[in-house]
Amino acid sequence: MKKFLVLLLALVFLLSCASLAYSLKLVVVGDAGHNLKPFDWYAQDFKEKFDVELEVIGVPFGELYEKEKMELIAATGAYDIMIVYPKFLAEFAANGWLYPLDEFAQKLDPKLDDVTPGYRDFYCKYSGKLYALPYDGDVLNLYYRKDLLENEEEKAAFKAKYGYDLKVPETWDEFLDVAEFFTRKAGEKLAGQVLERDFYGTAYYGQKDQIFAWWGNIFASLGGVYFDEETMEPAINSEAGVKALEIFKQIHQYCPPDVLSYGYEELKDVFLEGDCFMVIQWPCVGKKGADPNQSKIVGKIGVSHVPGVKKDGEVYYRALMPCGRVLAVAAEAKDPWKAYQVIHYLSVETSMDDVSTAETGLDPYRYSHFAHPEEYEMFANVEDARIYLEGVQKNMEKGYPEMVLPGTVEYEETLGVELTRALAGEKTPEQALNDAAAAWRDILNRFGKEQQKKLYQELVAGWRAAGLW
Amino acid sequence: MIRREKRIAVLFVLPTILILLAISIFPLIYSFYLSLCQWDVGMGGRRIFIGVGNYLRLFSDQRFWGAMKNTGLELLIGVGTQFLVGLGLALLLNRYFRGRNLVVTLFLLPMMISPVVVGCIWRIIYHYQYGPLNFLLARMGLNPVNWLGSSQVSIYSIIIADIWEWTPFMLITLLAGLQAIPDELYEAARVDGAGRWAIFSRVVLPLLRPVIIIAVLIRVMDAFKIFDLVVLLTHGGPGQSSETIAFYNYTTGFKYFSMGYASAMAYFQLAVIVIIANVFLASWKRREVS
Repeated sequence: MKKFLVLLLALVFLLSCASLAYSLKLVVVGDAGHNLKPFDWYAQDFKEKFDVELEVIGVPFGELYEKEKMELIAATGAYDIMIVYPKFLAEFAANGWLYPLDEFAQKLDPKLDDVTPGYRDFYCKYSGKLYALPYDGDVLNLYYRKDLLENEEEKAAFKAKYGYDLKVPETWDEFLDVAEFFTRKAGEKLAGQVLERDFYGTAYYGQKDQIFAWWGNIFASLGGVYFDEETMEPAINSEAGVKALEIFKQIHQYCPPDVLSYGYEELKDVFLEGDCFMVIQWPCVGKKGADPNQSKIVGKIGVSHVPGVKKDGEVYYRALMPCGRVLAVAAEAKDPWKAYQVIHYLSVETSMDDVSTAETGLDPYRYSHFAHPEEYEMFANVEDARIYLEGVQKNMEKGYPEMVLPGTVEYEETLGVELTRALAGEKTPEQALNDAAAAWRDILNRFGKEQQKKLYQELVAGWRAAGLW
Repeated sequence: MIRREKRIAVLFVLPTILILLAISIFPLIYSFYLSLCQWDVGMGGRRIFIGVGNYLRLFSDQRFWGAMKNTGLELLIGVGTQFLVGLGLALLLNRYFRGRNLVVTLFLLPMMISPVVVGCIWRIIYHYQYGPLNFLLARMGLNPVNWLGSSQVSIYSIIIADIWEWTPFMLITLLAGLQAIPDELYEAARVDGAGRWAIFSRVVLPLLRPVIIIAVLIRVMDAFKIFDLVVLLTHGGPGQSSETIAFYNYTTGFKYFSMGYASAMAYFQLAVIVIIANVFLASWKRREVS
């Protein structure tokens, strides 16, 4: 009996020692695919520097919200570090599901002064408190085929048809002309070559979860706003909204017939496969377009600001900033400080490497990311990288923030459904937007109109102060 | 002695009762209570009792009725075609020929593939520009079809994939039913001068009826819950044009987190399925009585 007890105690002691020797295991959740790669790349660093091992869980891009929220509601403590899209950061923070990071930020500086205002002030904070660190800076940009734009034959044909020189479209009217001009059927000629497949003027993200942003570029340039600040009446069905949808319907004619089923991948592919003249897309497409393993149009891509409208001789444009990714620590995290060290490492120490590779979909969000074109080695030369970065920065400076109210997922998707119905010809633009506004009123009431109004007013004040409104 | 035995019997059954209460009965009652509340798990998650408010909301929700219509199409066209094609194939395979077992096994393959893989395969097949289906249509001189990007077509694309996946189920079930019919009955019918059609309509169909009812009922209940193909092929789109009721219910519950409304929707579905099941089972009972 005595022997047995001694053996048992020795076993317990050994097991305790073994468990002490193991690193802390933190669970990371994010949208599966290229944006989770850095967690694997630096696994050794996390172990050596912070004595942390990571278990990385990837979920589909469009399902991140529900997967994270279900675990947070149930307080399962399933996740320690979460990639969060800024549109649901406010809701997660307001419910107390995220760990406030201000104290940690004082101990270990996340260098937020280096971050562009949209990301620093609205996508990482809620009610003045820091809840996340930036990881991926998203803004929409216009990409076009530089080689086709410079083709003499095409230039002459364009001038003959439209009466002005072929150039990068700066306004929506020019965008429509250029899209119409380059839409060709298989068998027709493009830059002197007979086309084997149909070629399209443009394309857009047609799935209901993000389509609002492609309409939003037009809406915002026409001066549209989400809500009336005073009454909290939805303003998406305003004159600007209807006009934007009418323009969007015209653009739809010059897109691939199945464009309403396009998500990120399809939209990227139609452009990088060389089947389309121009697209409005996230910054990572510019990097991927310079990588011969992912693009058939290497060296032929130009980047510019999204089109706008001409007012008093100046082009007024606004580029939507949909999606984006920030890194947050769950309130129930096993060790919030270690989790913070990990996200700090990614947001500060390795971010330059992570945004300057074509292997991730992560995009620049720090001034330092824009200041070092030489780091973007996928481009043929530094000059090309500089042009790319300048194009992205130009859009970021005129960025139109994505709404980050609680319920944004539902607001955006119900709007997306109605936009699609108008584009499919089932409703007139006015009907569709009126129905979307009615759905928004319902969401507003369910989430609490007064609370939403207060949050919206705070948001708008912040956007204004940062020069984004 | 008898009381003691009873007590022991109760003790044996008790764990099962407790487990059933915990995982089946309680969620059923609780979700019914939720269906009478407004509970949007967003800010604070306050639950407000609103009586039949959620059920009334269903009647004015266009998106819900659009999803119901799509589910109805899946039931009528999808399950209907699966039954007809499955029956035809079962009749063809209900005779001996060399390699019959291999042919039956090959026909069963789509049903054996994981539904996620089925969705991925069909997504490639339906691709507008690079998909093999439009390639074949072009070869035949026909215009390409916008399988996934047209709000008029996308629901039918889902139905076609579902037919491909689940016709084997009808085939194997009906084939088993056909093989259970004794050969003597065919011989007797032939001796009485019955032709092929008479044998089919007067002998085969009546004897196969219980199997048909069960096979169709199982598929109807399954088709009412169609979700995986919708997610993988269209995500309910374009817009909401190919949303089915199970998909919309999921979206309401786990994307919009309107738990009360989603529960009401689930109970509405349950009522419809129970009615359909009862109609089928009543027709079976009528047959037994007659």
